[in-house]
Amino acid sequence: MKSRLILVLPLLIFFGISIFLFSGLFSDPTYKNQVQVSRDIPEFALADLMQPQVIYDQSVFSGEVTLLNVWGVWCVTCDVELPFLSQLREQGVRIVGLYLPESVDADFGTKPLAQLQREVTAKLQRLGNPYQFNILDADRQYSIDLGVTGAPETYLVDKKGVIRMHLIGDINPQNWQTQIAPLYQELLAE
Amino acid sequence: MLAELGHFSLALAFLMAVALAIYPMWGVQRASQTMMALARPLATGMFLFTAIAYGALTWAFVSNDFTLSYVASNSNSALPVYYRVTAVWGGHEGSFLLWVFVLSCWTVAVARFSRAMPQPMVARVLAILGLIAASFYLYVLTASNPFERLLPFYPVDGRDLNPLLQDIGMIMHPPMLYMGYVGFSVVFALAIAALINGRLDAAWARWARPWTLAAWVFLTIGIMLGSWWAYYELGWGGWWFWDPVENASFMPWLAGTALLHSLAVTEKRKLFKSWTVLLAIAAFSLSLLGTFLVRSGVIVSVHAFASDPTRGLFILGILAVTIGGSLLLFALRAAGLRSLANYQPVSREVMLMGNNLFLSAATLVVLLGTLLPLVHKELGLGSISIGAPFFNQMFSYLIGPFVALLAIGPLSRWKNQSLLALRGQIITGLLIAAVGSLLINWQYSGIEAWALVGTLLALWIGVSTVQEIVSRHGDGQAGMQSLKRLTPSHWGMVLGHIGFAVTLMGIALTSHYSVEKDVRMAVGERTELAGYQFEFNGVTSLQGPNYRGQQALVDIYQDGEHIAHLRAEKRFYQVQRNMMTEAAIDGGFTRDLYVALGEQLSNGDWGLRLYVKPFVRWIWAGALLMALGGIMSMLDKRYRLAQAKTNAPVEQLQGQTV
Repeated sequence: MKSRLILVLPLLIFFGISIFLFSGLFSDPTYKNQVQVSRDIPEFALADLMQPQVIYDQSVFSGEVTLLNVWGVWCVTCDVELPFLSQLREQGVRIVGLYLPESVDADFGTKPLAQLQREVTAKLQRLGNPYQFNILDADRQYSIDLGVTGAPETYLVDKKGVIRMHLIGDINPQNWQTQIAPLYQELLAE
Repeated sequence: MLAELGHFSLALAFLMAVALAIYPMWGVQRASQTMMALARPLATGMFLFTAIAYGALTWAFVSNDFTLSYVASNSNSALPVYYRVTAVWGGHEGSFLLWVFVLSCWTVAVARFSRAMPQPMVARVLAILGLIAASFYLYVLTASNPFERLLPFYPVDGRDLNPLLQDIGMIMHPPMLYMGYVGFSVVFALAIAALINGRLDAAWARWARPWTLAAWVFLTIGIMLGSWWAYYELGWGGWWFWDPVENASFMPWLAGTALLHSLAVTEKRKLFKSWTVLLAIAAFSLSLLGTFLVRSGVIVSVHAFASDPTRGLFILGILAVTIGGSLLLFALRAAGLRSLANYQPVSREVMLMGNNLFLSAATLVVLLGTLLPLVHKELGLGSISIGAPFFNQMFSYLIGPFVALLAIGPLSRWKNQSLLALRGQIITGLLIAAVGSLLINWQYSGIEAWALVGTLLALWIGVSTVQEIVSRHGDGQAGMQSLKRLTPSHWGMVLGHIGFAVTLMGIALTSHYSVEKDVRMAVGERTELAGYQFEFNGVTSLQGPNYRGQQALVDIYQDGEHIAHLRAEKRFYQVQRNMMTEAAIDGGFTRDLYVALGEQLSNGDWGLRLYVKPFVRWIWAGALLMALGGIMSMLDKRYRLAQAKTNAPVEQLQGQTV
């Protein structure tokens, strides 16, 4: 009898694994990062991507509900969400970009700023420009403060400058309708 | 038009597979010779029609037929022809077509090279392969059709093949890997047939071994090519990343390695029968699981596109039926596979059992590490990632006892072995290995403990392999004489073990003594790394067929002597707008010099990444030796003899009865 049990064991293990594989198929790979939610947006003082003399700080978020979208020209998924974000801008959603430069290696240095600006302008002309303005996170320090894990990622910030949602992955019509828009409308009404 | 023909052929192949799954199996039940005899022609037909479908898709790529949605998203008219041929498996739909094509190749190979097997066995095995094939044909036809048209509005040009895949290593890597993955379906089918039959004897093990070896050899080469490709194409100088995709190929390899050893015991000693069957099921199941993991989008980075869950569901359905069904059959029938021989606690059987346990433990470690992030997320505990440190640590612990068994196992006898009798050989082996290891590690500054252990283990395997040959065949003149009488499968074992030692040596040394440096360099400047002077001699521009780029010229000197001229490239692929690094490598027996080009800095200097990687080539050389060992074993006479022997009586029989 005991040896029978051992022979059934592989089947049971496989059964257990397949339950997780099954639920994994349907789970949304984007999830709310609990740690980052319900805290004030971290302090910063960073330059505008296009006009380096303009310096922004966290006060840009006060008074308005904002989507802070983390992106870069090197990020393929960002290309896909840019047109949809542009539509959202036309509907009146305020979107601010946090630009993540691709190479931050100290010895390599970053791309010359002029080249970066050219690439960004070209991309936004091609795919649509959803951004009020872009903040350049030159040394990626602010992304670390924010808990960014990659691009694209989006933070929904309320009128008081508190992060209310952290979305990993692209924004698309589906998750906008089901996840983001309800909270966004609620925050607008606050 | 040709694409429609391909589509139609694929549908025919599906029908053939369905017929192959049903008739021969039914024929065995009814003991009908005619129905069983259908198995071989049906297998051949399935192969031919799949080959036509595959050829049609290849032609669509070569002729730039962008009316096919799949071609439009994976090729481009500027792509060189040889990459268009390989672009066939550059995306999801095409890889599955390759998958079923490879499966049909294995099926027809079984049909062709199975004269030694009794007909009911052949019928059952082919029917099981047909059943597996039918489910995948159905998947390709309904959920992932590469022949879908974009009519009437089709693009003028395609979106181009992912630049990462535009590389010679990528031409061979996926087909090799698939040959390995899918090849395990043969031993899987044999195992299922044995379970249905309720009998598993030495003859079964003799049939199963060459097929397992063939699949294992392909998988070994496939994994090696993948690692080699990552090394020079990704530009980071790494050769293994413990990425879910790599793990997916590593798990069947580990299970397959265990299976090879367990089959040896089953063949020679008629032992471990149910264990062998379980491993045969596991090797193929893990291949299927790997296909599912890589292709369903369950385990990819969170930043990948959400993929269509219906496709994943379909593959999961196939998995559930195939793996679940076979494990259920195993649970019901395996008790009937009795192993009768007996053996003592210290014997070759037990050593091989230990080897199997360690390989299985390693498989479980990889499986856990790959699936745990998913399980963790699904339990609502948040996302975690299990990285290289976990796997490296686990494998560091497993490797010591594993090598001890590997070194002592071949020296010991079947049934019963006194450890005292081996004492001399073990002590000599360890002593030689320790001295050698110290001498090798002495060359590098700052000796690392794990590198010392790694080289010691690798050398011990080498020494004990020599001891094994000497102890069985004597040394000196007589030994050289009898060396010639060593069977090919014995040479296979020797090569396999030496290959493993070579790989282990490479891993130990390159993991611990590689040095790297990120530098900014002006033209004409020199920098030193590990005794080599790297001189940067400017950057020239490049123009390829579908990319443009820059190429850095680097000359390397050692003690004032010029030893290498390297061109490290950075390519920009225009269609996909992707930047790719093509590292330049000066390969050597004991070290690789590796240069990758970074960005140009504002003052005109360039960023460069330099590496000196000792013994890195040994990793792949060892894998090649292992594969060679597998081929040697396959060539062993006893697998062919069985064929010749049974051929003869059949002919006689025919002569007599007619």
